[in-house]
Amino acid sequence: MTDSFKYYFEDFEPGQMTEVKGPTLSREEIVEFASRFDPQPFHVDEEKAKQSIYHGVIASGWHTASLCMRMICDAYLLDAASMGSSGVDEMRWLIPVRPGDTISMRMTVLETKTSRTRPDMGIVRHRWDVFNQNQELVMEMTGVGLYRRRHPGTRGSEG
Amino acid sequence: MAFRYHWEDFTPGWTYESPARSLSKDEIVSFAREHDPQRYHTDEQAAIASPFGGLIASGWHTATVAMRLMCDGYLNASSCIGSPGIDELKFNRPVRPGDALRYRATVLESRPSASKPDRGAVTWRWEVLNQADEVVLSMIGVQFFLRRPQ
Repeated sequence: MTDSFKYYFEDFEPGQMTEVKGPTLSREEIVEFASRFDPQPFHVDEEKAKQSIYHGVIASGWHTASLCMRMICDAYLLDAASMGSSGVDEMRWLIPVRPGDTISMRMTVLETKTSRTRPDMGIVRHRWDVFNQNQELVMEMTGVGLYRRRHPGTRGSEG
Repeated sequence: MAFRYHWEDFTPGWTYESPARSLSKDEIVSFAREHDPQRYHTDEQAAIASPFGGLIASGWHTATVAMRLMCDGYLNASSCIGSPGIDELKFNRPVRPGDALRYRATVLESRPSASKPDRGAVTWRWEVLNQADEVVLSMIGVQFFLRRPQ
């Protein structure tokens, strides 16, 4: 199979930013995700959530992270020669995400380097910020994306 | 409300290991279609030609499986009031259809809140292991728990 992608390792440069709009979350979606993956009372039970420190149902942080991943896919990753990820250095849940919130994502390229062991692969450190409709930062994350190189074994400068 | 576990119960070295929970191909594809539709998570044929040589679960899927096993294991019987975040989330090995996953928690550190006397923080190592006892995902997490009422 000969794949052709829009973005290879060489297309990421430090300082680049991409922004993408995300969904508006309904109470049902928040409760449904949490019922499957994170059924803590303040994610799934309106009455208990009202009595909690959050004063109402809030989305699981893993829900926000999963929605962030989907926004990453929609913004650029599905068009990229992605080879996966080794992980996330840091993820912070800063402000609760509540029913009716509309989120968006901004990706910033922090650093790029070629792999020492894999001449066909490059390593990109990304920062992903998730905002609500008031432009408040609700979640921030830094981590690694691995991408195939357009020109294995060389430091290509072609766009 | 009466909880089985409060902040005081999670002292350094406290561990928990869950029963195994297997992940089917349908679950992997269904999660990924919604949240992480990269070809090696959603398309079996394309996945064969990918760097992974076959379908693998989204790392976010594996992380949420850990979260659910945590809730079922002890968290929903605890006074947990949330988490500020995660460090060093590592996708160590691919998770493939049929893998049987276990969740393991270890308390690394515990400290009372300096500003709020009713609660404390716990720093954890959370790991997911497969049927070959390989760690497929690991992370360091912090959670806040209410202290046991006096």
